[in-house]
Amino acid sequence: MSSPSDAEVVGRSLAEPEAFGLIYDRHAATLLRFLGRRAGARVAEGLVGELFRIAFERRQTFDRSRASALPWLYGIGTNLLLKHRRAEARRLRASARIIPSLEAPDRRASAAALDARLVFPRVADAIEALPDDEREVLLLFAWEELPYQSMAEALELPIGTVRSRLNRARARLRELLEPKGKDKVRSR
Amino acid sequence: MKPVDLAKKLRRDAAFEPAALDRGKAALMTAIRQEGERRRRPTIVPQVPYQNIGAAVEFLERAFGFRELRSSRLVGRDGVIHHANVEFGDGVIGIGTQGAHGAISPQSAGVASQYISISVADVDAHYQQAVAAGARIADEPHDESGSIRAYEALDLEGHRWRFLQGAREMPRYERRGRP
Repeated sequence: MSSPSDAEVVGRSLAEPEAFGLIYDRHAATLLRFLGRRAGARVAEGLVGELFRIAFERRQTFDRSRASALPWLYGIGTNLLLKHRRAEARRLRASARIIPSLEAPDRRASAAALDARLVFPRVADAIEALPDDEREVLLLFAWEELPYQSMAEALELPIGTVRSRLNRARARLRELLEPKGKDKVRSR
Repeated sequence: MKPVDLAKKLRRDAAFEPAALDRGKAALMTAIRQEGERRRRPTIVPQVPYQNIGAAVEFLERAFGFRELRSSRLVGRDGVIHHANVEFGDGVIGIGTQGAHGAISPQSAGVASQYISISVADVDAHYQQAVAAGARIADEPHDESGSIRAYEALDLEGHRWRFLQGAREMPRYERRGRP
């Protein structure tokens, strides 16, 4: 016998609330990693608790024509992250410092490493400078590798809007990363 | 390199304690149970007075199979429990402090003025559990008319509980016409 879909489990949890624990078992690890990448381990652990409490309270609003609850949960998590923008910014800047040294451990020799140490802080700043709705789409796409349909479900947007936001984010990043881009960041 | 590829390289996983997920699960299940308990408010909730509520609840759970609705427990600053609710099947009973609302425990009054009937699935198994927990038996298990099997037990403070099997509908003697 195949296991019940998320939609079936959420449906069952309306009458038997404790069934909702299975939704946690299935998706909590994914969401904890998602929130951790964005806001760090400490913030993420608190947020994942909040996320599932909210999901449980709103479970009757879950669209049960969707088999998986994961995009819906990503959407709740994305909203929660908006309250933790400072933790996100700190983590992004820290990653910009750490990642290049992981990429090219031999600091003295590699010109590429030097280059990376200059480039990544600018990428981090550029991502930070994106409007919230564009940054959400970009990071769900680039870090979580969600398909368009899942992003649309998570953000409760038409697929076309998701695509155009992602394109705007790309264009803005390109602009912000060009040599002249720095001035534009300042003038914003 | 394309901007999105650069952004991808900034992806960095956080290091979690292994127990983080278990803590989250425990917190969620507690929240779920509490919500369930808040919604369980039957139309009628008998209130039963005791001198020692903590001991009473512990005994009712161990001997008779009640389950306390922990989210509704009232505890004073002195750490003494002033009120608790326990459930059994689809029923809820309040366990209150004697003296409050004019209600007195049989332990003080010397006499019980009421008893409570509870339907169970297996009255003999229930009896065994009650005896093992030290309940005083006031009436041994016996068959009654209407395919009812019942026994009666006293709790720590002398409240009388009647446990019966085979009678989910209203008792016959409630029918009109009987004296």
